[in-house]
Amino acid sequence: MPWFLSLFILFISQLTKADDSGFFSAPDLSQFSSEISWSDPEWPLELVPIQPETYTRNTNARFCTRPLEMVDTVVIHHSETSPSTTAVEINSYHLARGTADDPWYMIAYSYVINSPYAKMKLPETKVTVGRPLEIVGAHAGSKAFVPMDSEQLKMWRENKILCGKENEEFKLDPALVQNDTIKANVTTLGIVINGNYAPFSQDNPNGYSRRSPRYPTKQTQDLVARLSCQLQKKYPRIKNIKWHNFYHSTTCPGNLKNYIGQIISMAKEYGCTFY
Amino acid sequence: MHLLLILLLTLNISSTHASDEKTIKELFDKYERVMSEHKTELIDDVFTKKFIRESGGKEEFIEKIKELPKAKKKTKLKRILERWKKSKIGNMFIAKVKKDTHNSKNSEPTSSNFVLIEEDGKLKIDGTVSDDE
Repeated sequence: MPWFLSLFILFISQLTKADDSGFFSAPDLSQFSSEISWSDPEWPLELVPIQPETYTRNTNARFCTRPLEMVDTVVIHHSETSPSTTAVEINSYHLARGTADDPWYMIAYSYVINSPYAKMKLPETKVTVGRPLEIVGAHAGSKAFVPMDSEQLKMWRENKILCGKENEEFKLDPALVQNDTIKANVTTLGIVINGNYAPFSQDNPNGYSRRSPRYPTKQTQDLVARLSCQLQKKYPRIKNIKWHNFYHSTTCPGNLKNYIGQIISMAKEYGCTFY
Repeated sequence: MHLLLILLLTLNISSTHASDEKTIKELFDKYERVMSEHKTELIDDVFTKKFIRESGGKEEFIEKIKELPKAKKKTKLKRILERWKKSKIGNMFIAKVKKDTHNSKNSEPTSSNFVLIEEDGKLKIDGTVSDDE
């Protein structure tokens, strides 16, 4: 009987393992930094406060680490969800979207912004930290590749970008590079503005009515400008602000894309130059 | 006897899986009827109360649906349930739905990730999440 019991338990555990995502909730990402404070007496503004958050991660998922000098671009997204969605909820959605073949490690974006649509008052505006900057994001499209400059190419050749699972050895992943272009996720960081800034359609039931389009407030644009500027002050190689469908065909980030020029102008007033 | 027990357990797991898939497919059939044929009387069956509330309430949501062109039967696009997954977090389903562009002028396939949750004993759409990785 005991042998059968063991066999039965083994069988059941294998059944559960088939769908076991290995989630656990004791993140210790202390070796990574997400704070973007620095000492600059010339900086004219208060730093954007960034709320810390603790995320469940999928330990079955591979992820890649990078030196922050690899990052040269901020990519703007909308979440397609309600503006009040929390960063923890976005993390749950992203974990749930992964598959057994392609599990997701954690929230795809590095920063999550909650802010109201123009002419609305809620939700209260806040920025929450997402995926640590040192971990390659999962937001620009896995098939999008971008050219590397000489310094990025050097970092790649010096094996500075390594991939693996938690508690496993990290290795070089040749699939990250094709003909001296590299996956856009490696050189970018994602900022998501929660909300849905695209029109209502059969594929986008959260979208806005054509009679009342949704826009970001000036405060939201200013917040993105200040956050990007803070990032550039700390990591001077960050020189570009782009948007999700710059990299591939998607409705994301809706009409937020039309405000990137304005955000770049605002950042210039704070002494930052973006392209 | 023991093997029979294991077999029954396996069959039970498979049938739960199949019934989930059937329920999700039925939900997207209804979704299609709401969006393409404007069967707005079905919206309470298809969407969660929270989703309808966040869409501006039932009246405004119905107005938005009516703004969409009604699909003609000949050109009607099918939405295919590409994959679905039940999350361990909060009993949530993510269903990736792909637009079937067969016989359509628009040759670029698009897909959306729908968040489904159980409400009043039924699976309903609670929204979508931005597509990609």
